[in-house]
Amino acid sequence: MRVCQLGEAADKTDSQFSMETKYPSEAALVGLDCPGLRPLLKVEPGETVRCGQVLFVDRAQPEIVFVAPISGRVSSIEIGARRRLDTLVIQSDEPERNWESADSAPPAGSSPRDILLARGMWPAFLTRPFARTPSPDAVPDAIFVSAIETEPEAPQPRTVLTSRIEAFRLGIETLTTLTLGPVYVCQDPGPRIIEPVDPRVRLVDFAGRHPAGLAGTHILRLHPVDAGAQVWTVGYQDVIAIGHLMQTGCYDASRIVAISGPRATRPRLIKTALGVSVRGLTEGEATEPKRPVRTLSGSILSGRLSPWLGRYHRQVTLMDGLVPERTHTLVRRSKPRQSPSPIIPTGKLDNALPRGLLPLPLMRALSVKDSEVAQRLGCLNLAEDDMALLTNGCTSGSDYGSLLRQVLDELAADS
Amino acid sequence: MNPPNLTPPLQVGFWASQSRSPARVTLMQTLALILPVGAAVAVEGLLHLAALGVMLFVCISWEVGFALIRGRVLTGHSVTTALIVATMVSASVPLWQLGIAVSFGVVLSELVFGGRGFGFINSAAASLAFLAFSFPGANLTGDATWIAVATLPGAVLLISIGLLPWRTLLAALVSLIAGHFAMNGIFDPIGTAAVVFFGLVFLICDPLASAATNVGRWMTGILAGGLMVLFSATDQASIAPGSIVFAALLTSVFAPLIDHIVVMMNFRQRMGRHV
Repeated sequence: MRVCQLGEAADKTDSQFSMETKYPSEAALVGLDCPGLRPLLKVEPGETVRCGQVLFVDRAQPEIVFVAPISGRVSSIEIGARRRLDTLVIQSDEPERNWESADSAPPAGSSPRDILLARGMWPAFLTRPFARTPSPDAVPDAIFVSAIETEPEAPQPRTVLTSRIEAFRLGIETLTTLTLGPVYVCQDPGPRIIEPVDPRVRLVDFAGRHPAGLAGTHILRLHPVDAGAQVWTVGYQDVIAIGHLMQTGCYDASRIVAISGPRATRPRLIKTALGVSVRGLTEGEATEPKRPVRTLSGSILSGRLSPWLGRYHRQVTLMDGLVPERTHTLVRRSKPRQSPSPIIPTGKLDNALPRGLLPLPLMRALSVKDSEVAQRLGCLNLAEDDMALLTNGCTSGSDYGSLLRQVLDELAADS
Repeated sequence: MNPPNLTPPLQVGFWASQSRSPARVTLMQTLALILPVGAAVAVEGLLHLAALGVMLFVCISWEVGFALIRGRVLTGHSVTTALIVATMVSASVPLWQLGIAVSFGVVLSELVFGGRGFGFINSAAASLAFLAFSFPGANLTGDATWIAVATLPGAVLLISIGLLPWRTLLAALVSLIAGHFAMNGIFDPIGTAAVVFFGLVFLICDPLASAATNVGRWMTGILAGGLMVLFSATDQASIAPGSIVFAALLTSVFAPLIDHIVVMMNFRQRMGRHV
């Protein structure tokens, strides 16, 4: 069995900036990242696994496999309600060696689609509408690669891409075999990231403030999915991993993650692995260690409180911990507060959604779970991260991301 | 300092962060109302403070009552209702009439729906309409020039924190001045605007009673300006102070319809683009 060290080639060309590496001693696959997935387990607790080894498959679509992000021992498998995956944790005693991925090169002649499925890269794709893992035989009308970032304090895609541009180029080439339509590479204005050979690869510039960098914005502008189309989205680091897989036959679980947030001592980029423990990653990173601190996986806008780095997250955020809310006696005496608070239309909500959508009518439709009106207002083009600015800007305190998820699930069940 | 490899951090301006919760919104609107109320007291005399006190007492009592009994959120919004009504009525109106009028406005246009943000009519507009219908002698204040001047800083504050739909304000002013010129042949932009400016900012441009889409905001503004001219038609060729109250009521009734039309147009447009 050949063993390949990940990112070797990358590190040699890393002259532009020095990047720290944190070898993860713990990593997990989290059910939140694959909503509705019922796993068929291929490993048992206590078993030793190699990075890239199959851990479980989707019970409904066994072609879709999920692989280990690091080498180590499966320390716990938690199955939640209705046989859904909660977390699967891998612990490693030798963190420095856990990126060695066992190479089981696919038989010659198999198609890129089969390789991506068999080697665990399929969950990198998400469909729009519904933001779910696509079915193994689906052919999308277009694929969107977001190589632009407008979330606060996230890694700059250009920085990450410079050292691994060859793998990225190969990844984009692989994507063109999955669709008959265009592959859009969305970038910020500036030099072109790659010079594509295939005319179906189209580079599109997006400028402006958040949400200009979100896939929802790109899809609405270039290929809306209201009328029954299906497009896929994939992150730029996943495209690098796809390229790496095609080039070397090795599964690449390394990801470049930003440590960010108002409480971060030294906001910077760190190289680590998918699903890494957020606590391990942020150990000793907070300013004023004695004050309570909250660590989010994801950005300050759209992140979630989670002990593990989310599959699609590119940063961790350190924030002030929660202090118990002080309430007036009169408020405590009154009946339990009705929820939610009202939606008061303020100016900042007007620009919180991609252009062409109407924020307030959509917020009202979502808050009463009116899926028909929400669909008419274009909610099929959106995913949870598109709703972050609404959640942050609204007086009601509703989480529009989870409201959207409920409505999308309902619409998916109907369609 | 932002490291070059990361995207810029989140910047939230001080004033922009002041519209986070319903109570904050109330606070900002109250701030904007202080100067106009002061001007009204200066115009009407110190006795007007008694009217203000009675209305504040009645409004806050209703709101606290609903908070205790029905579990509504205490937003303090009824305070702004009292301040708006106090600015717009003349000192000759008996206190008990004012008390009944604001009770009607606060309870029936706001609290029965669930409080601020759940109804669709501005409670101050409802109170003033009730006053005008039920007590024919009750006058709205006539001299509005000083109040209009005092409203300006508040309007700027509200626009800067996004609590005043400037599209509605601009469209209403333009359609009012144009309509006044077309109907009555009088072209006096400053004078016409001064008569209605306070009502325009606090009744018609209430973000909750106005439309919720940008196109809809332009349309409600045009509608409101036209209605004001129409309702003043009998009133010796000047814009009547009462007309703004009824224009505000009717506009807020039509705002959901206007929004609905905008939503349908938006849907057609997106579907049309894709086919």
